[in-house]
Amino acid sequence: MERAGRWRGHRFLPSRDVALLLGPCVLYLTAFSLFPLLYSLRISFTDLGAADSSGDWVGLANYADLLADQFFWNAAVNTAVMVSAAVSIQVVLGTALALFFNLHLRGSWLVRGVLILPMLLTPIVVGVMWRALLNPDWGIVNWALETVGIDSPNWLGSTEWAIRTVVLVDVWQWTPFVFLIVFARLQALPRDIFEAAEVDGAGRRGMLSHITIPLLLPAITFAAIFRAIDAFRSFDLVYGLSYGGPARSTTTLSFLAFQNGFQFQNYGYAAATSYVMVIALILATTLLLRRVRVRRADAL
Amino acid sequence: MAKDPEVDPRVVAGDYIADSIRSLMEGRVSRRTFIARTSALGLSGAAIAAIVAACSPAPGASTAPSAAGRTGVGATPAPSTSAGGTPPPSTGGVAYDPMKYAGTKVRILMTGDENDHRALGDKVAQLKEETGIELEITSPALGPLIEKTLQVLKADQAEFEIINYLGFLTTQQVGGGYFEQLNAYIDDPAETDPAWDFEDFAESNLRNVGIYDLENQELGVGSDVYGIPGLHSGSVVYFYRKDLFDAAGLEPAKTWDEFKAAAEALHTDEVAGCSFIGANDFSLATVDWYTRFITTGGELMTGSPATKDFRPNLNSPEAVGALQMLIDLLPFAPENVTTYGFAENVDAFSTGKIAQMIFWSTIAGPVFNRDNSLVADVTGVTPVPAASGQTSRAILGGWGVGIPKNLEPAKKPAAWRALAWITSKDVNKYFVEAYQIDASRDSTYVDPDLVSQYPYLPVAGEANANAQPIETTILNDFFAMNDVMNIEFNKALIGGQDAVTACANVQTQWEDILRKADVLA
Repeated sequence: MERAGRWRGHRFLPSRDVALLLGPCVLYLTAFSLFPLLYSLRISFTDLGAADSSGDWVGLANYADLLADQFFWNAAVNTAVMVSAAVSIQVVLGTALALFFNLHLRGSWLVRGVLILPMLLTPIVVGVMWRALLNPDWGIVNWALETVGIDSPNWLGSTEWAIRTVVLVDVWQWTPFVFLIVFARLQALPRDIFEAAEVDGAGRRGMLSHITIPLLLPAITFAAIFRAIDAFRSFDLVYGLSYGGPARSTTTLSFLAFQNGFQFQNYGYAAATSYVMVIALILATTLLLRRVRVRRADAL
Repeated sequence: MAKDPEVDPRVVAGDYIADSIRSLMEGRVSRRTFIARTSALGLSGAAIAAIVAACSPAPGASTAPSAAGRTGVGATPAPSTSAGGTPPPSTGGVAYDPMKYAGTKVRILMTGDENDHRALGDKVAQLKEETGIELEITSPALGPLIEKTLQVLKADQAEFEIINYLGFLTTQQVGGGYFEQLNAYIDDPAETDPAWDFEDFAESNLRNVGIYDLENQELGVGSDVYGIPGLHSGSVVYFYRKDLFDAAGLEPAKTWDEFKAAAEALHTDEVAGCSFIGANDFSLATVDWYTRFITTGGELMTGSPATKDFRPNLNSPEAVGALQMLIDLLPFAPENVTTYGFAENVDAFSTGKIAQMIFWSTIAGPVFNRDNSLVADVTGVTPVPAASGQTSRAILGGWGVGIPKNLEPAKKPAAWRALAWITSKDVNKYFVEAYQIDASRDSTYVDPDLVSQYPYLPVAGEANANAQPIETTILNDFFAMNDVMNIEFNKALIGGQDAVTACANVQTQWEDILRKADVLA
């Protein structure tokens, strides 16, 4: 028998239809998200390793080892540096570009199209491509810099420069994403507020700092959070560009988990690393999303 | 369809004993093998002794070349086929029939990082023509290969008939008991082409990837064979530019002092005096540092995992000295050598920008390829330098091929047939001829046709024969330990620390790893 009900004014769909509509999705998520998630959680409590390991239960030992591991903290610092530096630059640049293109200069549509090309590439391709471009012997970047009399830094060969290079490449690829989000929001801002401000005698700078930026803030925050999450778990760019080196200077948490899992076959330890990342992400995004909601209410 | 040798009712003990006696008389198995086989089948000691005495050659009679058993390795007693080995799938007296497994499909899981899969791909049609076996090749990159291999080996039933494993993982994979013992197949003339010639495999490679004492967990000890060297082996040799050395009146370096002196003398703005793996790369430690370390008297590990005193000697003078040698070579190396891995060195040498370097002999392929290399006609190859009083030698690389133990028993004989075919002399020769892949067979390194085309081969063969497995390959943490060395040594090369500190850091980290692995108290 088909039954319908009400919940806060919305009609329930009949239960058979609910099952038919949601079933495939639930099955898919269970098989490909929930099960791997729970399975890897179980692995993180075992010593599952190379061929001779039985995967015995070790409780929280992997987590304890991880927190005492200097290379975990090194990777955590690198990740924090990468996330904060890359996202900050992307937000500033992306917003600036959005404001610039909002001037609707002639031909800007073409530049806009070209601008978003980097984010259409997969990060592994971007990493390998930039590694070639920055090759100290035959890379075109060094050649171009030297042609105009600038000494090239040791992009990927020094501990000082390698993390900056990774950040720069990340910025190159993902600034267009921030730009797109902010630009879309900019297009949708109500014009009457600006007209009223203009009538009241507000200058351009005043309108920018007191109207435009506050109105854009939800979009900027959304883009920043999205990018922060993505940068936090960034692996393929590091893999293709610097392989975590030199001297672990670009080893991020994702790369550390990859190395332990797929190079050294310490699956338990790698799973624990990944779960620490998951916990950190859940905490950070919960806090940040709460902020987005508040700001959105303020702004709108 | 082939039957499982272990359950084939036709293989009864009486037949098997009779076959063993015939094999002993014909010199196809050693006395030791015969004793082991017949003991396992319940024959009394007195009866065995009588048979052995009766089959002994008369005084002065010539000994057949195979008297030590086909799987006898050097001076080692021939292997026991009864202890863990599958009995031969057919009894003696049956002639080798190359088409016995025609119509069978055999799947091989192998590396896609080298040229091996391409070379083997070229031979698939020939294999089918000669044996009727269809070979399907799956060849992921090294990382996924290791992953997939472990999945296959740990599954209830293997989905691949043949697995190609990295020599550095022999302990992990063969030592884990995941591969089928092959002695019985090797010894069976009905299952193995008489021309296959087991003794032609370099002993160093056999001990690195093929022979394992499972009971005592010792690599290269005993005579139980679980893998066949292939599809390529090899070690490290010294590549140098003959034209530059001749012009400067220099001989190729025989010692590390001469190497440095030549680097200094030959270094110009256009050509670096030398090069090495300077990046955080697998070969920084295993090729450049380890070669210098062992050829200056260094001993990487002392003690034994079994007695939990397996201690590294990374803070020894030889360890520090080997790293210091590399640091001292920086002024004569390419400007960006600390970012040079495998590909960068091969490219730079092939384009004439490097005067000398030690490297995996497998790069002879691109270096001597006249289509791409600018130095194909002016490159010389000799054994690696060594300190006075030391033997020239380096790390032993290479791969093994085996049959997963968890393969469906009925499929194993056909798997062996295909495995033996792809490791045959002809196939090995083709690998070198077409792709300059490092050979696994002694005869290939000295094949007159090949040597006339590639004069470096005998040197590479000598290096392969003298090479030694790095001591840490017996641990599952080999890759993690190697990674520690590469990171710390690379940091020293880019000026982040001195050689003493780098080696001390490796020593500390290695001791932690070894304690966790419970091989160091």
